Amino acid sequence: MKNSIKLIAIICTAIIFVTANMAMAQKAGGPWTIPAASKSMKSTIKAGDASINTVGKENFNKHCKSCHGAKGLGDGPKAANLKTSTGDFSTAKFQASTDGELYYMSFIGRDEMPNFEKKIIDVADRWAVIGYIRTLKK
Amino acid sequence: MKNIYITLRISALMILTLLLIKSTAIAQEEATQDTTVQEPTVERPVRPAFESGLLFDATTTTVQPSKTLEFILQHRFGYMDTEKYAKDFFGIWGASNIRVGLNYSFTDKLTVGIGTTKMKRLQDLQIKYKVLEQTRSNSMPVTVVVHEVIGVDARDASIWDQNEGSPAYKFSNRISYFTEVIVSRRFNDNLSLQAGGAFTHYNCVDSVYDHDRISLSFAGRYKFSPQGSVIVAGDFPLDITGIKDFKKDASATTIIYDKPNISIGVEISTSTHAFQIYLASAQGILPQEDVMWNNHDFFKGGIMIGFNLTRLWNF
Repeated sequence: MKNSIKLIAIICTAIIFVTANMAMAQKAGGPWTIPAASKSMKSTIKAGDASINTVGKENFNKHCKSCHGAKGLGDGPKAANLKTSTGDFSTAKFQASTDGELYYMSFIGRDEMPNFEKKIIDVADRWAVIGYIRTLKK
Repeated sequence: MKNIYITLRISALMILTLLLIKSTAIAQEEATQDTTVQEPTVERPVRPAFESGLLFDATTTTVQPSKTLEFILQHRFGYMDTEKYAKDFFGIWGASNIRVGLNYSFTDKLTVGIGTTKMKRLQDLQIKYKVLEQTRSNSMPVTVVVHEVIGVDARDASIWDQNEGSPAYKFSNRISYFTEVIVSRRFNDNLSLQAGGAFTHYNCVDSVYDHDRISLSFAGRYKFSPQGSVIVAGDFPLDITGIKDFKKDASATTIIYDKPNISIGVEISTSTHAFQIYLASAQGILPQEDVMWNNHDFFKGGIMIGFNLTRLWNF
């Protein structure tokens, strides 16, 4: 009798273990609240500047790739651990953001998106990263 | 001997004071008919010469931005058995040394750190101050940093009371000092080099050994990929008769500690971490230990595997 109860308990536990499915889907991040002064910021480097594919790319790979993925598709190795989806930089909607909006989202951040002001201190280097993010559009 | 030590310490303190006096920015103004004052040119500092403030056991000229906490783990496995390398699995099964430390940047130029090391139970306090910073315009071609490590040997007091006739134990016996000036240059995005001079002092040593030592250090890194570098460093104690205490009539079995510490390895850096894995010849970890107490020759099998790990938090 005791053995039967033990066996039933084990089978029930096994069934629950295999079938129980807690919701683990990521949520898309909501709209950003960006100050008007930040939205209107303009890049200090021109499109096509040489630093975009050197400094910009290198800093993106070092600081951003692990969550956002090599092409900014939101498929970096750490992305799955986050509660918020890391978005897709290649979409037209994302690329329609102003320079200032991209700068604010990238360097000021919010919630799970860290502040990177102390990681990339030089302002021109930051704009090089934004310039590189612009090259990721489809 | 004591007079020379006092003179050297006073000289070092005077040099340190002079270097710490801030110089004002040089403003550019042109004498024109126009009455508007031109804004002084803002000098942009170069990107850091090294990925981390630590390279093997050496401090680099990289100072983290203010309000940054850095966790440091330095591990040294045992020396490899040069006759049967597999016997102790290349030193991995041998007697190891480890240091755990924390550094905090109070300002963009000043970092203070504490740490604890297994061998000799050394507790350390470290201060690093960036005196000059290399600029992108090359108006300042190098970065200069001053660095102080105060070590306290926390072993039992009986260590200093082993011979009849030796002076009574005092707390100051435990203390050692390492004072250095480091100069670095970031040549380009791939190559950075640094060189330094240091003065090491141990308050209390066995009668046949030196209290003081002057050393030169060199370090460099070459980036072979966006996150990977080859790293090399060496600390070379100098043989200066004027500050030597070593007695010529010491017995033939006395170990002579005068070998340089050479390290070579690879560094992988990410946004928050730096990992270094390497071969080194000194096991002391604290720089004064490496300079004063190394008798292993890197080129004659006196090597061990080591790894460092640093992690940054920005507040």
